[in-house]
Amino acid sequence: MPKIKFLLADGAELTVEAQNGRTLMETALENSVPGIIAECNGSAACATCHVVLPEEIMSALGPISEHENDMLDFAEASRESGSRLSCQIKVSDAMDNVSVRVPAA
Amino acid sequence: MSEAVKVVDDVAFEDLLANPYPVFKRVRDLGPVVKVEAANIMMVTRFDDVMAIERDPETFSSVNPQSLLNTVIGPNLMRKDGEDHARERAAIDPSLRPGVVKRCWADPMRAICDDVISQIEHKGEAELFEELAAPIAARALADILGFDGVDWRTMALWSQSLIDGSGNYSHNPEIARKAKEAASGVESAVDRMLSHHRDDPNPSMLSSMLQADPAQTVEQIYANIKVAIGGGLNETRDSILTLILGLLQNPDQFARVLAEPSLWGQAFEEAVRWISPIGMYPRRLTRDTEISGTLVRKGEQVGLCVGAANHDDRRFNDPEKFDLFREKKSHLAFGAGSHFCAGTWVSRALVSQIAVPMVFERLRNLRLRDPRLVRIRGWVFRGPTHMPVVWDA
Ligand code: HEM
Repeated sequence: MPKIKFLLADGAELTVEAQNGRTLMETALENSVPGIIAECNGSAACATCHVVLPEEIMSALGPISEHENDMLDFAEASRESGSRLSCQIKVSDAMDNVSVRVPAA
Repeated sequence: MSEAVKVVDDVAFEDLLANPYPVFKRVRDLGPVVKVEAANIMMVTRFDDVMAIERDPETFSSVNPQSLLNTVIGPNLMRKDGEDHARERAAIDPSLRPGVVKRCWADPMRAICDDVISQIEHKGEAELFEELAAPIAARALADILGFDGVDWRTMALWSQSLIDGSGNYSHNPEIARKAKEAASGVESAVDRMLSHHRDDPNPSMLSSMLQADPAQTVEQIYANIKVAIGGGLNETRDSILTLILGLLQNPDQFARVLAEPSLWGQAFEEAVRWISPIGMYPRRLTRDTEISGTLVRKGEQVGLCVGAANHDDRRFNDPEKFDLFREKKSHLAFGAGSHFCAGTWVSRALVSQIAVPMVFERLRNLRLRDPRLVRIRGWVFRGPTHMPVVWDA
């Protein structure tokens, strides 16, 4: 089970055990990670599960869909180069020990 | 031990229509699920319960082939779940995404608002439902659907007739006839425009459904266009009026928005929390389950009262107040889960970035003619129905 470290907007850190195959958004909700609201529960419609990932993991994740790409420009916190919607990312071993930042809205 | 559903039988239907919020408060405090006889529905009214339900679509399904909505408009995405829903949703999303709204719809929507306001600007007085909000909402929607040349009164009539038909639980034959007429009106309009949108791909919803992979059938196109007409006109219209009303009634907040235009977005979110255009929508139980300790049986239907959830004092302080500076928290006016409103980004742009700022810019010193003349009505759909104003022409 990969461990994922959430870096919260207020500077706190929260390390959680994640399950392969679940999405990063589901992992965040199950562990009550503050700042991940996920109104649309994983449909990439609301842009309220925005996270910023480190560069090195981005390439391992595959391309961003046109829909997600469009949404990210309108997330409440400004888009950064590592921005993704956490509902579109499946947890895998490749994400073990990754730091996921929840940007300040 | 799970609790049984409590019942409220001393509320009249008219009480709900006139002002559902006192009823919502009573029901919310009584229990997590309460049957309200006048509306013949089990209401879920607490914020956390609605959110939890929307995260469990396998238990709380939108599928309901026998629903009036399906009878009136045909099998549509609002009453499907899972892959079936996702495919139809993906077929319309390309015309409603925020970036597309900004690139393709902002300019035409601005032109519509400019035209509507130009027609009343010189008069110094107007009734904003009929002369402003309804035409703006209907014309913007016609553009986005790809219904070029359909006039706004026809759009408004179709929309109202489809809504009334979907709520026609007493089987009133006149309402049923009008709904049928609207449905065939929409279908002929689609038929007329299909080849244009097929030959000339564009960002409209009609064209987007034709370009989708897998391509949508004509039945799917008919039905989902009807969903958008029934569900994309009133809410925008009502939220335009609600936002104007909230600001006119709260001059301090209004002054701060004028001084700091980046607050328009926040003001809009507060307006739709304060008077949510859609107050309730249904889900059907696929198994016996407990909602916060209250047992509800398989096959039964619960009404998710997002209007009530948005006034839940467990979450929002002084919920009945319009306060755009309240502690920032998400609301449920656009629903939640996979059916989260597809038109969210269109409405945000049209209402908070274009229509209402333009109203206040062009209609100088806008004020209510008399606060006592403002009418607000409805519970499943709620909004100002009459709002006479004056300004310095
Ligand atoms: C302030 C304006 C609006 C509000 C408050 C609003 C609210 C809602 C709500 C609460 C739902 C969920 C219904 C359910 O789950 O049963 C919904 C769904 C929907 N809305 Fe909106 N709406 C607005 C504007 C619009 C506009 C302008 C459009 C079209 C351009 C639109 C199209 C839709 C569609 C197609 C659905 C069904 C989505 C699905 O089932 O996946 N809405 N809306």
